[in-house]
Amino acid sequence: MENPLSLESLFHLGPVPITEPVLVTWAILALLALGTWLATRRLSLTPGKLQTVLELFVTTIDAQVHDTMQREPARFRALIGTIFLFVLVANWSSLVPGIEPPTARLETDAALALIVFAATIWYGIAAQGLRGYLATFAEPSWVMIPLNLVEQITRTFSLIVRLFGNVMSGVFIIAIVLSLAGLLVPIPLMALDLLTGAVQAYIFAVLATVFIGAAVGEQTPSASASSSAKETRP
Amino acid sequence: MSFDWWTLGLQTVNLLVLLWILSHFLFRPVSEIIAKRQAAATDELSHARAARAEAEAARDAAQARDAAVAARRAELLTGAQAEAESAKRQMLEEARKEVSKLRAEAQAEAQRRHAEAERALRDEAADLAVDIARRLLDRLPETTRSSGFIDGLAQAVAALPEQTREGLGAEGPVPVRAARELSDDETVLLKSRLAEVLGREIALAVTADPSLIAGIELDAPHAVVRNHFRADLDRIRQELLRHD
Repeated sequence: MENPLSLESLFHLGPVPITEPVLVTWAILALLALGTWLATRRLSLTPGKLQTVLELFVTTIDAQVHDTMQREPARFRALIGTIFLFVLVANWSSLVPGIEPPTARLETDAALALIVFAATIWYGIAAQGLRGYLATFAEPSWVMIPLNLVEQITRTFSLIVRLFGNVMSGVFIIAIVLSLAGLLVPIPLMALDLLTGAVQAYIFAVLATVFIGAAVGEQTPSASASSSAKETRP
Repeated sequence: MSFDWWTLGLQTVNLLVLLWILSHFLFRPVSEIIAKRQAAATDELSHARAARAEAEAARDAAQARDAAVAARRAELLTGAQAEAESAKRQMLEEARKEVSKLRAEAQAEAQRRHAEAERALRDEAADLAVDIARRLLDRLPETTRSSGFIDGLAQAVAALPEQTREGLGAEGPVPVRAARELSDDETVLLKSRLAEVLGREIALAVTADPSLIAGIELDAPHAVVRNHFRADLDRIRQELLRHD
């Protein structure tokens, strides 16, 4: 069996090695781009079924962001929605035979966490200014500065490891069961993997919202949302 | 464990590209259409509120018009009732007058008919009385029905004006009607009694007339002397009718 932690390049574009997660991500990217372009070509004030689903998705993202941050969700909608949609589609891509989900690789999860980390700093500075943002590290006391700095790193790593561990383990278990028990036995595990993928996408998006919300302004609703999100983690 | 930094970089770029794509093709157009719908709904709501206010104003105006119409109707009804009452009183008064007039006319007609009936009854009674008298006199002896009246006739002739008496018989025989044919003796007696009264003999043309019932009538051209029951009964009858 292939080592899940090793990554082989499929081909090279010049000096750049192209690996399977990159290729699958390009496919997902193309799929989502084509799908959303087709779905939003003819939006109207009297929506059809597909437009209703899209509007429900967007308004749910908005409601989640607003409930968590207690702020207008428009600035954060695209980032949070993109993270959720990509993680969900990437996790569920494991249903396609022969495809390994990109989120089962550390590099993809690290890229996601890196974007969240950068967005946290960006939105924090945009909301409170550089001095105000840096001042948040000295709250509630300057003694907490080291701990807050470490927290920035550790929670980013926790994002990476949580998503990587859940998805990779699911893929790994299904591969093991498939190699041992034949064709139909992995199906319940694949269904469970669907659920796990959806939950992980939701958790990743919510934690990103919580982190960004904490950066733009420490508020009690954000803290409570953070704790509730952590409680749902499997 | 290996970590491919190229893959990390590519995936980061991929995710940023995906972020741009989804933002451009999904989140922005969908959120814009939601905002447009909310704006349209708000606009529709404001229009609906304006229309509702307009409808309420129209309803209030209609209610005011209804109230005015109702007041006018009540006023007209009151006027019509008063007018009807006046017309009713006038009609009743006219009807009462008409009834009184008809009643008076009916009473006058009834009285007139009653008088006519009474008069007819009296005429009939008078005729019956005359007829009864005639029937009773028919039972008297023939002689008494003529000879008994000769003296009376002579006295009546004597009561005539002298000029009239002198003219009797000057133009020929004096017509004399008797209830029956006079006998010769009776004719002689009549002539003698007239001669005594007139102082001269006059010629007589005696004829029988049963309608006299009893008695004699002298029909001179200038004088009529009646001494018979027919004349008496006629006088009685005239008297009876005159006293009615």
